[in-house]
Amino acid sequence: MFYLAYLKAELIRRIGKTLIIAAGLAIASAIIITIISTSQGLSDSQEQVLNPLENVGTDILVSRSVDTQKMGELDEVTRTELASENRVTTDLSKLGKAGESFSLDTFMPGTMLTFASSETKKLTSDLVKEYASGLILNVTHQEGKIPEITAEFQTGGERFQVPDVAPLTDAERAAVDAARQKAIADLQAKGIDPQSEEGRRAVREAEQAATPERFKGAASSFTTPNRTYRQTLETPQTDIKTESYTIAGVDTSKTDIGLILPSQITEGTYFKASGQAVINISYAQKNNLKVGDKITINGKELPIVGIVDPKLYTNTADIYVSLADLQTMAGKADRINIILIKATDTKAVDTTSKKISSLFAGAKVINSKDTASKVTGSLMDAASLMNKFIGLVSIIIILAAFIIVSLITVFSVNKRTQEIGTLKAIGWKNSTIVGQIFLENLVIGVFGAILGVGLGTGAILLLNHFNITFSANVASSNIAQGFPGFMRRFGESSSASSGTTANLKLTVGYDYLILLIGAAVAIVGSVVAGLIASFRASKMKPQEALRQL
Amino acid sequence: MTALIELKDLTKLYKQGGGTIRAVDGVNLSVQKGDFLVIIGPSGSGKSTLLQLLGCLDKPTSGEIKIDDKEVNKLNDGKLAELRQNKLGFIFQSFNLIPTLTARQNVEAAIAKRGKGDKNKALEVLEKVGLAQRANHLPSLLSGGEQQRVATARALINDPEIILADEPTGNLDSRTGKEILDILKGLNREKKQTVIIVTHSDYAREFANKVVEMKDGKLQTNVSQTP
Repeated sequence: MFYLAYLKAELIRRIGKTLIIAAGLAIASAIIITIISTSQGLSDSQEQVLNPLENVGTDILVSRSVDTQKMGELDEVTRTELASENRVTTDLSKLGKAGESFSLDTFMPGTMLTFASSETKKLTSDLVKEYASGLILNVTHQEGKIPEITAEFQTGGERFQVPDVAPLTDAERAAVDAARQKAIADLQAKGIDPQSEEGRRAVREAEQAATPERFKGAASSFTTPNRTYRQTLETPQTDIKTESYTIAGVDTSKTDIGLILPSQITEGTYFKASGQAVINISYAQKNNLKVGDKITINGKELPIVGIVDPKLYTNTADIYVSLADLQTMAGKADRINIILIKATDTKAVDTTSKKISSLFAGAKVINSKDTASKVTGSLMDAASLMNKFIGLVSIIIILAAFIIVSLITVFSVNKRTQEIGTLKAIGWKNSTIVGQIFLENLVIGVFGAILGVGLGTGAILLLNHFNITFSANVASSNIAQGFPGFMRRFGESSSASSGTTANLKLTVGYDYLILLIGAAVAIVGSVVAGLIASFRASKMKPQEALRQL
Repeated sequence: MTALIELKDLTKLYKQGGGTIRAVDGVNLSVQKGDFLVIIGPSGSGKSTLLQLLGCLDKPTSGEIKIDDKEVNKLNDGKLAELRQNKLGFIFQSFNLIPTLTARQNVEAAIAKRGKGDKNKALEVLEKVGLAQRANHLPSLLSGGEQQRVATARALINDPEIILADEPTGNLDSRTGKEILDILKGLNREKKQTVIIVTHSDYAREFANKVVEMKDGKLQTNVSQTP
């Protein structure tokens, strides 16, 4: 077929032009693919951050969290409750004998006061679609050797003899000495050792005999009463290590709402039975823990069955166990401190929030909008920048691409006006000529599109390879905050953070639709530019085309 | 006998700058089938414009052109393209070959729509102009004379009734130019194909049976005719 032969000849013999136009189209297409994909990646991350509650299938959170900044404004009852819930009395002496090893975990709800799990009965099915309860506690873990807390001294029982007569005169002392010397000499003469039992008795008797009469029977004696002094040591010298972490009791009966969800498990499995633990990916990394390891809480070994990535979410914990397990371990039977609620309808979140607020007097009810407004960080900056400029930048690039491609195409078609004139002279119809150039540009466009999709994909790979991360901070409104008092006693401050910072890696995905858009830009750009140019050229009268020599 | 081509009071005006150029100014001419017509005139005399009007590449400002008793200036672009493809063959001074196509493909381009057998037909015509062995060469590899022979072959492939040539020898040396004219003369003689050549030189005169001179858009009255 002649037209195809002509097409092939045109594209191959003008390979430079073909390549330049295709490359121009490819670059435009690649830039568009990269920009749209990146922007999509950013907004996906943003979505994740802006709607952290959504990640756990939740619209509304109910808790009795206390704002530490406004502690002074609390009523007496709450203050007392807060203090009693977080009071820790550790009698180290009761843990065992001094010098023995011990390990102790103390559970405190921090600022998230607990309430009876029966409160959830207020959540009727006409009000909420679903709910899950949870218990999040701060754990202070101590281990080391039990210190010597007291030192004990016993006094008394000694007998004292107190002489109450005039002391010996020199003559009397000399007489006693002489009697002793004589007794020793006598003993030695008899062959008896004066240091032996018999010898010493003989010496003592001799001394007694020589002692003046006034000393005999006149000595008084008394015994001191028995007394025990116990002194409490100020700072026990010990190697006790204290660390704190958070633990959450998960309502394992729910799988699509809850503090963590089975879908968030990145390694291992979700809870299968009681007595198992799932740990947060960041805690696992920090402490070098993996699935199959065991963690010990108050002497009880719990196998780690899974690693969870709860993403950016306001109520994360380091260790997750089942709610029942935690209630038992922490001695908080039937107590919870958070309820996660899914509204019947996403549109009803606001009204449901209000109703719940009135149902739970004094409770803190927050919904997804509240959390979204608390997110800050570089991700937000990048995303808002992208949002502001994405439209503009895309339009500029598409325009620039069209202009460049059009110019090259028009220029190259203009160079062929003589050729077009000749074709007309030998009987080609306008439509045939336009069709031929359309075909050429279609092929160049397709070529450019393939190249562009390749380039764009490469750019996305590169972006992902560079591990660009953005941080996002969720200001803490309700995270369980430790009461630092106890730990301060051991010279350590509470590590409770003021919020959750998530470092989100920018993941730019391949979306077929975006690749198609990029490809379409290249093809449409080429074809439109080609059609405009060829139409213009074909409308020229042949003699004008021929005159342009 | 009706003339193959009949020009009546044909006028073509161009606007240039502030004034109007009367490129073709009231030309009356009739060409019979089998004529070998040479139109001679200095450059700027309007002879090329006249040839383009004859070839339906341009439309006159006024007057009429009849080919085979049909008023061609009333035809639309599509019909004119058909007319050019079926009845006319063009040869240009600068050959106007398509640079990306081989000699054979350039010839084939003129009958692109006719379907099968085009390749062989193209080779046949190239054979006729003595260029069969160069059929697969690109124009850039051919000499001027060879290129013009390819262009001639292209003009002939559709067996046109009328061959129009604009300074066909202008870019060729005299020997090559003569070869081209010989080919045209042969066709004119054997197939009674009508040949119309415009040129500024007297060189083609000897091939013609009819010579007209043109100056300032007007045909000079002294038309020489060899029966």
